[in-house]
Amino acid sequence: MYSGITELDEVIKGLRLGDNVVWQVDDLQEYVYFVGPFVKQALNNGNKCVYLRFAPHPPIVTSPGEGLIIKKLDPRGGFDLFSAEVHRVIEELGKEKFFIFDNISALVEEWATDELLANFFQVTCPFLRESGTVAYFALTRGHHAYSTIARIRDTTQVLIDVFRIKGNLYIHPLKVWDRYSPQMFLPHMISEKAWQPIFQSGEAAALSSTARRQSLQYMESSIAPWDSVYHKLIQYSETDKDSLEMSPEILALKKEFLRMLIGNHPEINRLAGSYFTLQDLYRVRDRMIGSGRIGGKAAGMLLARRILAGVNGERDFSQVLEDHDSFYVGSDVFFTFLVDNDLFRLRLKLSENSQLSREGFEEVEQNFLGGTFSTKIVEQFRNMLDYFGQAPIIVRSSSLLEDSFGNAFAGKYRSEFCANQGSPDERLEVFLRAVKLVYASTLSPDALSYRCRRGLAESDEQMAILVQRVSGIPYKEYFFPCLAGVAFSRNLYAWTNRIDSKKGVIRLVFGLGTRAVNRVGGDYPRMIAVSHPQLRPEIGMERAKYSQHEIDLLDLKTNRFATLRVAELLSKGKFPNIQLLVSAVRDGDLYDPYGFVQQDADHEFVLTFNNLIGNTDFIKIMGEMLECLDKAYGHPVDTEFTASVSLEDKVKINLLQCRPLWLPGVSGPIELPDNIFKEHILFKAARVISGGVISKIRYIIYIDPQGYSQISSKDFKRSVGRIVGRLNAHPHLKEEKFFMMGPGRWGSSNIDLGVNVSYADIDNTAVLVEIAHEDSGNIPEVSYGTHFFQDLVEAQIIYLPVYPDDPQAMFNRSFFEESVNILTDLLPGTNDFEDVVHVIDILKTTEGQFVKVVADPQSHSAICFLV
Amino acid sequence: MKDELNPFSIAQKQLDDAAEKLGLDKPTHEFLRWPMQELKFTIPVKMDYGATKIFHGFRIQYNTARGPAKGGIRWHPDETIDTVRALAAWMTWKTSVVDIPLGGGKGGVICNPKVLSETEKERLARGYIRAIARTLGVTKDVPAPDVYTTPQIMGWMMDEYETIVGEKHPGVITGKPIPIGGSQGRGDATARGGIYVIREAATAYGVELKDKPMAIQGFGNAGQYAARLGENALDLKLIAASDSKGGLYNPKGINVEELIDYKIKNGRVSGFPGADEISNEELLELEVAVLIPSALENVITKENAQRINCKILCELANGPTTPEADDILYDKGIVILPDFLVNAGGVTVSYLEQVQNTYNLYWEIEEIHWRLKEKMTRAFKSVYERSQCQKINMRQAAYLVSVARVAEACKLRGWV
Repeated sequence: MYSGITELDEVIKGLRLGDNVVWQVDDLQEYVYFVGPFVKQALNNGNKCVYLRFAPHPPIVTSPGEGLIIKKLDPRGGFDLFSAEVHRVIEELGKEKFFIFDNISALVEEWATDELLANFFQVTCPFLRESGTVAYFALTRGHHAYSTIARIRDTTQVLIDVFRIKGNLYIHPLKVWDRYSPQMFLPHMISEKAWQPIFQSGEAAALSSTARRQSLQYMESSIAPWDSVYHKLIQYSETDKDSLEMSPEILALKKEFLRMLIGNHPEINRLAGSYFTLQDLYRVRDRMIGSGRIGGKAAGMLLARRILAGVNGERDFSQVLEDHDSFYVGSDVFFTFLVDNDLFRLRLKLSENSQLSREGFEEVEQNFLGGTFSTKIVEQFRNMLDYFGQAPIIVRSSSLLEDSFGNAFAGKYRSEFCANQGSPDERLEVFLRAVKLVYASTLSPDALSYRCRRGLAESDEQMAILVQRVSGIPYKEYFFPCLAGVAFSRNLYAWTNRIDSKKGVIRLVFGLGTRAVNRVGGDYPRMIAVSHPQLRPEIGMERAKYSQHEIDLLDLKTNRFATLRVAELLSKGKFPNIQLLVSAVRDGDLYDPYGFVQQDADHEFVLTFNNLIGNTDFIKIMGEMLECLDKAYGHPVDTEFTASVSLEDKVKINLLQCRPLWLPGVSGPIELPDNIFKEHILFKAARVISGGVISKIRYIIYIDPQGYSQISSKDFKRSVGRIVGRLNAHPHLKEEKFFMMGPGRWGSSNIDLGVNVSYADIDNTAVLVEIAHEDSGNIPEVSYGTHFFQDLVEAQIIYLPVYPDDPQAMFNRSFFEESVNILTDLLPGTNDFEDVVHVIDILKTTEGQFVKVVADPQSHSAICFLV
Repeated sequence: MKDELNPFSIAQKQLDDAAEKLGLDKPTHEFLRWPMQELKFTIPVKMDYGATKIFHGFRIQYNTARGPAKGGIRWHPDETIDTVRALAAWMTWKTSVVDIPLGGGKGGVICNPKVLSETEKERLARGYIRAIARTLGVTKDVPAPDVYTTPQIMGWMMDEYETIVGEKHPGVITGKPIPIGGSQGRGDATARGGIYVIREAATAYGVELKDKPMAIQGFGNAGQYAARLGENALDLKLIAASDSKGGLYNPKGINVEELIDYKIKNGRVSGFPGADEISNEELLELEVAVLIPSALENVITKENAQRINCKILCELANGPTTPEADDILYDKGIVILPDFLVNAGGVTVSYLEQVQNTYNLYWEIEEIHWRLKEKMTRAFKSVYERSQCQKINMRQAAYLVSVARVAEACKLRGWV
């Protein structure tokens, strides 16, 4: 069956006998646009068309033709009478007729309730379907309760949203029963040529979020405080717009609303209070599913965007920031889910006792996956998914404690990508699974022990969810952002003193940011110092080795998150702006491409982002963004972003997350204690770039620099590394906190430069101290700039180089050399190593004291002392 | 620095031993103990942040009796003039052992290129050439890339030289990018040269290679090429490989291409499926036909030399065997193919690049391989003959061949 518009038939894969087609429009002219060709096509084919005329608006079908029957009906008699009359018409005019209805929204004006409109549709539609007709209906958008639209959607075969933005007309099929194409449920722009699906995320977000509509039309009145505060605010805003923000009553209401939406954290609330306008809060509410709070991640993201939007500097961030297109599943939904599915008590039990095995957690996950949501919530989920169509989305945890000051929870709770392909029901199923998995992750062993360790086990931890459109572009059968990563406003990776650690650092990847957020062995994001973007610790072909070899992306064909070799991906065909991302490997060196890049199997590439860094504004913009956020937060920040560069080199950034930068053991600015007795100080360091506070350290593993340098056998020197590895894994040490210190560059493959260890030999230490003694004027090189160092930074092991010969430093050599060495108690049979490897039990040596390390990256100073 | 650790003192000591064995006359010996010309200079560079920084540079033209000086330019924070002197001496012996008409030289700048931006590096490269331009040239001294210098840097240097002299002279420097006069075949030149030498040695010493085991310590660029060429050109079977993070072993053989892929992806060889984990030390002691240390210095020492169990030891890395270990291996009947012979493939292809630049005619890769093979084969033969003739090990023989050639050139020129 044809609709009379070939492009429309292509999008929805044609009409079928029995289809009821509902057009949701703002203006009836949009309905007329589709009805005209439909009627013409039917009449040309010798079919009959019946136009049911019952509304006061001008007629939809204006030019009578042979075969057009106009039936005038009167709805004023009420639902019952009208419905019966329509049935009679359908019965009378028999099968295989085409029906056009006036705008059925007009019926509500006569019948006063939405409910009756939905009832009318629900009784008429199946009858039309049984009669084998094709019927067109119009609905005016925004005139009906959400539940009415939901019932209409459930009944009809085809539901299409029609809207106009900046003079362009778009259709967005929300339901097409029993038909499918990979791009069917995306918005399409109507043009004289092909109707193009809007798939590139930035474009889609701008289209959907700014000009289109309120996406969750479910605002049903309630007397609960949550809604009543909101409604009070809305009433005020409608009556007195000018003095709105200033009035004390409004201010109080806004504060209350903020508390309900964001939470109780004083710092975050202070920032939210000063940056969010009421309009911002309304926008959040409009995109909220359920009630309650939106959680730390969502709040941080919104706050950062608001801060940037309000910047009155040279940079207009509104030109740079891509629209975010997010929905918020309120934290109350989480509790309701727990209560409705008998999971509340399970959660309580597990929170009290953090010992949960991996297997035990799998069972918990199964319990969560078996849970169900209320119909009302599912309807809202469904509505949101309709809005996104087949655009990929990510379901992210956004708990109350997450991303707040002092609690990063990085990676503790789950985030799930939904490639979002398939029929609406299939997409809903995958989405529900994702939400349940995120909910279950609140009870994962990692999360429980983290909360316990940080004394948060009893804190109110509600899980809200942030649903975001995945930023990116379609390429072949995949979808991913061109650039993604994390950016910190302070550079803890300042491996040379040329780099200004106050200017921030970016970890950049090609594809989904998962590779920048998580550490993947053997695969390296590009680390970019904002102050000196071109400097990197690798040189020559090392740049190829320490680069990103694999890309995370969404495979639209298999509907899954996937990882692919970058080389394999790029061999599939031209990728836009590839010259900004790669360098070519030729004759044992890397070359940054000029212009055209030939993408085939004969050409080897390495992701360096050199041309992006050197020839676009990307780093400059990121640097400015980090500086603004750092200033507004009054604290270093940690952000997550995606970015794209247009063919005209215009940079767009999508800020996905912003939270206070977390340093080990620290929840505020670090203060170096200055009143420590000299005899309690073990060392002081003056060239520190990583920071944090570690208390209650019980053991020190000390490799005596002099003893080490005097070892003549290389094999023996190597064995020192193995002893360190065994100590690192020793159960006594693992139970307590310990740190390691020793000469030169740890982890170097050249054992004369420092202790020969791999990352796995030291991964349990809290602090790694490299002692750099001057020897005949040569200061040994410490680990700055090595990937070993990068591993330390990322594992949040505090790294301290100590230069005992530096006048600003201090080093209590006798303490380390003369304290009782318990090496052989811990590792019997290691007597040969006693002169070199010292293990000191601080608690016993000092009779009750521990060691504390405080390292402040701001002042580049650190102190280690007995306390 | 103590004399025994000073690289130039070590180089002089090695020459002294060779001179004694050759019965070199005193003036020639003394002449060869020292560089013929040394340049020590400063290079002011405008840094990106506006200030000017002064760098210290060297260029040593050690001996030019056999032709223009040839040797790389190193950029390293720990550079010393004695290191550069020693390396320039070794270049002299290396060009001589492969019998290419070049002398030996080396250059260096004390700097940490990791903390220089690309524009600063370009200014430093150009400044270096301005400082030595008068002593450079296809007929005088031809530099090349070395530690931390790249083809791109060679490109800037060539351009600066050509700007100063006002003519095109691509042959003034080798290791350039191919579009501006670089040669094909540089990537695997070192490993390929080594493989050609192994082939000749196996024939000369009657060592069977087909399907015989090979072990490679150091699976970086050179090691990977050696594995691939060892398998394809010599029919060897890779049974063990290692890197700084550990090694692996499978007596039935390891798939080279899959291992290279795995190494590129994971940055290490350990964990590669289907092989057992093994330490670097254990790898060296495996029973193999060919052992190729291709990463570190001093890995075969008097402690483990007795346990080395290969037929041919091919020193693709510089200085993997200590002098004490040398004697033990020789007594065990192990054929040592010394570093400055087996890794001379790089300088040989550099020479071929210079020849192509001079002729302004560029060869296909096959021709480069063929010419490299010719040079390496001849080099092996002359060292082998000397070793057989004088009943000395290959390292001593290589020294004698090269020093004798340089000494002869000096004499023929009437310098000594």
